[in-house]
Amino acid sequence: MNAIWTTIIIVCFVAITVTNPNTLLSLCVESGTQAVNYTLQLVAIYALWQGVFCVAERCNLVEKLAKILKKLNTFLYGNISTAAQNYISLNMASNIVGVGNAATPSAIEAIKLMENDTTLSRGGAMLFVINACGLQLVPTTVIGMRASFSSQNPSAILLPTIVCTVATLVLGVFLVNVAYPKK
Amino acid sequence: MMSYLVPILIILLFVYASVKRVNVYDGFVGGAKQSVPTAVAVFPYLFATFLMVNALKASGVDRFIVDIISPPFALIGIPKEVLKLLLIRPFSGSGSLAILTDVYQTYGVDSYIGNCASVIMGSSETVFYVSAVYFSQTKVKRLGWAVPIALFCNLVGGVLACILCRFV
Repeated sequence: MNAIWTTIIIVCFVAITVTNPNTLLSLCVESGTQAVNYTLQLVAIYALWQGVFCVAERCNLVEKLAKILKKLNTFLYGNISTAAQNYISLNMASNIVGVGNAATPSAIEAIKLMENDTTLSRGGAMLFVINACGLQLVPTTVIGMRASFSSQNPSAILLPTIVCTVATLVLGVFLVNVAYPKK
Repeated sequence: MMSYLVPILIILLFVYASVKRVNVYDGFVGGAKQSVPTAVAVFPYLFATFLMVNALKASGVDRFIVDIISPPFALIGIPKEVLKLLLIRPFSGSGSLAILTDVYQTYGVDSYIGNCASVIMGSSETVFYVSAVYFSQTKVKRLGWAVPIALFCNLVGGVLACILCRFV
């Protein structure tokens, strides 16, 4: 990340300084403001979902969910703690019902529990790749956008999208298995 | 159909918790409290990512990159407009939504390019954003192959999307 980010920033900053030096600082401040606004939105979204999840936890529903997903989780992530399994199960469930934003806080918690070292372990890599391949099966945002652009058939893309998602997911899981073998 | 799913799940959960004599209010507030530290920890990573995306756009470097790499991608069946989406997608969700809107306006939502862009948008993820956010609270410095794997999968997804859309 360091190499990519630094290279892009240096190249772009040089290009902006040559063509339009006055805009550089305002661009930085603008990005900061954007990030602040987005963070505020995230506080609200995470608050809702962490609140809901905490209620689910106190009814022992998360444990039950983790039990159902236990086989799958052991296959994917190897031996991980029960607490991490609970968070991962929440992450999977949120992704499947299509609330990607709810998936993030549980993933952060799960990764916090799995990673104690400076080198990424199999569990963290697997959870990241599964989420970064777009586990969300039904593309609600895209279908909504197509409808608002008065498409003849907004959900025409549903089947190819699901095929694509599943294909990349399988490929991702396979590649993680190769790159981070089970211990 | 889908729009009922999440609301109903939340209602069922609260009813179930009440039946089980769990204090819903306390639980909800207790969970919600944790959102502030989580979001604040994510903030610097968001800032860095937004800065990079905005700098790419403002400097015109993004168009330059697209121009250079579009010929080889055209060979594997990816149109130039779609390539732009494929490139921005790993960095920014809002940025890629803007490109998607652009594609719909320029080519029409039901065109081949419109369909391709839709499928790519629906089946891919903001890889760099996810990696920044997910590892924001760990000591992990060396991610190994995780990010390249995710990027490669999204690229394969993009190529597959363009192939599949020929049959829609």
